[in-house]
Amino acid sequence: MAILRPEDISSSRRILEALGESVDEIKGYCCGQPAYNSGYRKEAQSVSRKMLRVTRPYETVVVPSGSCTSMVRTGIPKIFAGPRGLSITERTKAFFDFGEFVHSHPRLRELNFELTGTIAYHDSCHGRRELGITSKLIDLLEHINGLKLRRLPHEEECCGFGGAFTVKQPEVSVEIARTKLGEITETGAQILVSEDLSCLTHLQATAEGDGRKLETWTIAELLDRALNE
Amino acid sequence: MSNFRTRAKLKIGHQSKPAATLKPIVRNVVRDSRLMLAERPANAKLRAQEARKYTLNHLEELHSQLRESCKKNEITYHRTTSSEEACALISEIIGQRQRIAKSKSMVAEEIGLTNYLRKQNKEVFETDIGEYIVDIEGQGPSHVTAPAIHLDRHRIQNLLNQAGLNVPDNSPLTLSHAVRNTVSDFFQNVDVGITGANAVIASSGRIMIVENEGNVALGLSNPPIHIAVTGIEKVVQNEQAALDIAQVLAPSATAQPLTAYTHFVDTPSKNQERHLVFVDAGRTDILKDDRYREILLCIRCGACMNACPVYTAANGLSYGSPYMGPIGAVLSPLLWPESFSDLPDASSLCGRCSEVCPVGIPLHDMLLNLRADSAAKQAGKKLTEKIVWLSWSFIFSKPRLSQGFAWLTKKILRLFKNLRKQTPLDPRRMPRTKRSRDAEMLIPLFEKESIPSKKQTSNQPSSLLEQFRVQATEVGFKIENEATTHLEKCLVLKATGAIAATGSVVFVEKDPFLKKLMEASDVTIMLDKETIVEFPSDAENLIRANGNALIMTGASRTADIEKKIVRGIHGPQNISVIVK
Ligand code: SF4
Repeated sequence: MAILRPEDISSSRRILEALGESVDEIKGYCCGQPAYNSGYRKEAQSVSRKMLRVTRPYETVVVPSGSCTSMVRTGIPKIFAGPRGLSITERTKAFFDFGEFVHSHPRLRELNFELTGTIAYHDSCHGRRELGITSKLIDLLEHINGLKLRRLPHEEECCGFGGAFTVKQPEVSVEIARTKLGEITETGAQILVSEDLSCLTHLQATAEGDGRKLETWTIAELLDRALNE
Repeated sequence: MSNFRTRAKLKIGHQSKPAATLKPIVRNVVRDSRLMLAERPANAKLRAQEARKYTLNHLEELHSQLRESCKKNEITYHRTTSSEEACALISEIIGQRQRIAKSKSMVAEEIGLTNYLRKQNKEVFETDIGEYIVDIEGQGPSHVTAPAIHLDRHRIQNLLNQAGLNVPDNSPLTLSHAVRNTVSDFFQNVDVGITGANAVIASSGRIMIVENEGNVALGLSNPPIHIAVTGIEKVVQNEQAALDIAQVLAPSATAQPLTAYTHFVDTPSKNQERHLVFVDAGRTDILKDDRYREILLCIRCGACMNACPVYTAANGLSYGSPYMGPIGAVLSPLLWPESFSDLPDASSLCGRCSEVCPVGIPLHDMLLNLRADSAAKQAGKKLTEKIVWLSWSFIFSKPRLSQGFAWLTKKILRLFKNLRKQTPLDPRRMPRTKRSRDAEMLIPLFEKESIPSKKQTSNQPSSLLEQFRVQATEVGFKIENEATTHLEKCLVLKATGAIAATGSVVFVEKDPFLKKLMEASDVTIMLDKETIVEFPSDAENLIRANGNALIMTGASRTADIEKKIVRGIHGPQNISVIVK
C-alpha cells in the first residue's frame, strides 16, 4: 500500500530515526490482505510467507498502515494452521503499527512536535476494532503542540473502502464515503488525518471526484511535518 | 440469482436515498442499545451466548426432551425438514379454515408461508403494523425487527390509502392507529393465529414469544388454533436460558428494557389447539460445519444490520433475501447456496457487526470464510479472478517486480485519470499522491465549539423497590400506593412478582387470563414488594409455576413507523401498579 505514497515511508523513517532507532526499509513485499479478503487464501499465504521470511532478521517490524498491521496480527494467524501456524502467530507479535509503536516508545517525550492548525481525525476500523489502538493514536496526536484535533461525530463508522469491497460494490462504497465526507466537511477542518492509508486514498478519491477540497495525511506525514529538530 | 449490486445501485441512485431515512434512525438505536445493555448484569451477553451454545451442543437431546414436555402440555410437536414440507404441514393443520391472523415470524418469511397459503385462497392477514405495511408494498420486510424501516411516513400514508384505509394525515400516531383498527377488526372473527417463537423451552414445553403491539397476544388467545412456526435451533434448555436471551434481545433489537409483552405460553385453553412447527431447511447441515455452526446462535435481534454501513447505504431490500444485513449475508448463502453467493461480498469487513452481536457471532470471519469457499468452488467460473490473484501473488513475491508494478500502475492510472468513466454514483479519480505544501489548508473553514461530552446521568436508585418505581414509570405504568380508581371498573390482577431493572410485572396464570387482559382497557395490578427481583435473568423462580407466564413491561406500543414510539395498540392502556 505504502508504495503508492513513497513520501510516507520517508516520513516514518525520519520519526523512527529521531527516536533513535536504526531503520531498514523492506520494500515490495505484502501482507497478503487483498487476496485474503477476496477469498484467495493460497495466494495470500504464499505472499505473506515471503514477507515473513525477509522480515525475520528484525527484532521489530513497524508497519506504516493500520490495515496491514491488522492483517499480520489477526489475519495471518488464521490462514496458517497447525504447529507452523503457532510459530507464525508468535512471530506476528513482532509487528507494530507505526503510530502505536511511536506512542509506546520510551523516547517519545524527548521529541518536540509543533504544528499550528486544525485537522479532522478518521479512526480506521482495523485500528479501532482489530488492534484496539484508538486511544493510543489520539494520545499521540495530542502530543503535537498547537494542533487542534476535530473528531468526527460517528468516528466508529467505516469509510466504505473495504479493499475488495470497493471493487465489487463501488456504488455502495462511494455512498458510504460520501456520508463520511459530509461529516468531515462539517468539522470545518480541511485536512484529514488517519493511520490508514487505504481509508485516506478512498476518501480522497471520492472527494476529488465530487470536487470537494480535502487533503489527507497519514499520522507519519503529520508527525514528520510537526517534528522540530 | 441474487444481485445485490444492481439492486443497491438502483436504491442509491434514487432521489430518496436509503441512508436519508435509515441513518438517523439506526444510529440512535445503536447508541441507545449500548446504553441499555450497560444497565443489564455485566455478564449478560455472555449468559445469552452460553444459553445459545448449550442449544447447539445438545440440539437433538433438547428436541427429544421437548417432545415429551409438549405431550404434557397438549401442544402438538411437529418437525419438518424443508420449507415445502413445513408449508404443506401448516396448510394441513389449517384445513378448511379460512381467516388467518399472522404475526411477525422470520421463519414464515423464509419458507414463504404467506404466499403459499394465499395461493390456496386462504385469507392471510399480517397483524404486525410494520408487516401490514410492507405487505401492501409487496417487497417483503427490509429489517428483521422493523419490517417497514425503509419507508418514511409519506410513503406509508400512500400505501395505506392505496389499501383503502383513508388516513387523514401522516403522523406516526395516525398511521399506526389506522392499521391497529383494521387489525382489531380482523381479530373479531378469526380461525387461526400464526406466530413465530423466540425460544422454545425443552424442560417445560413453553414457547417464549416477545412482542410490543399485543397482536401476538390476540393471536394466542382468540383463534381456536394457534400455530407457532420456528427454526429447529430455537429450542433452549430451560426458563433460565430463555430469560438470559430475552434480557439481551430487546435492548439489542430496539433499545428497550424488555418488549411490552414477553409471553411464555404452554397448555392451550379448553377449546383451543396449539401446534409447534419446527423447520430444519438446511440447519442440521450448517450445524455440521464448524466454521459456520455458530450462525445458529443468532437470536434475530437485528443489531448487526443497524450497525452495518452497507445495510444502511443500500437498505434491506437490496439483499433480495428474507435475511438481510450481516446476518443475511452469512445465513442466506448457507441456506440457499445457489441463490446468494454474492452476498458475502456485500460487506466492507469493518467488523462492527461482530462487535455489536449480543451472542458473539464472529460474522465477519464467516464472511471471509464464505468468500474463500466461493473462490474455491467457482475457480473454474471465475477464471479471470483466479488469474488476477495468481499473477498478483507472483508479482508480490518479487520485490523488484512489485515495486515496478506499483510504479507502472500509478503511471497508468494517472494517465487514464481523465479517461476513466466517472459516473454520478462513482466519480472517483486516482487521487494525487504528491504532498501539497498549501499551509492554508491547516486553517479550518470555521471555528467550532468542541462538542461537550454528554453528562453522565442516573444515580443508581438505592433499593429494588425504588429502582422498580423509576423504571416502571418510565415504561408507562402508573405506580400507586393506594387504589385511586374504583377497582370495580377495572380488571384487577395479582402479580407474581416484578423486575426492577426493566420495570416489568410478572404473571403466571391459567387461561383465559390473556383473553381477559386483552379485552380490558384499565388494569390495576397488585404487587407485593417482597417479590421484586433485580434483572430479567433473576426472574426464573417467578415464572416457574405451571401456567402461561407473561412479563409485561408497560402498555402495548409500536415503533414501526420511523421508529417513533406510538402507545396504545392492542390491549389495556391504563395500567396502575399498587405496591404493598
Ligand atoms: S447475528 Fe447477532 S446481531 Fe445479527 S441478528 Fe443475529 S444475534 Fe442479532
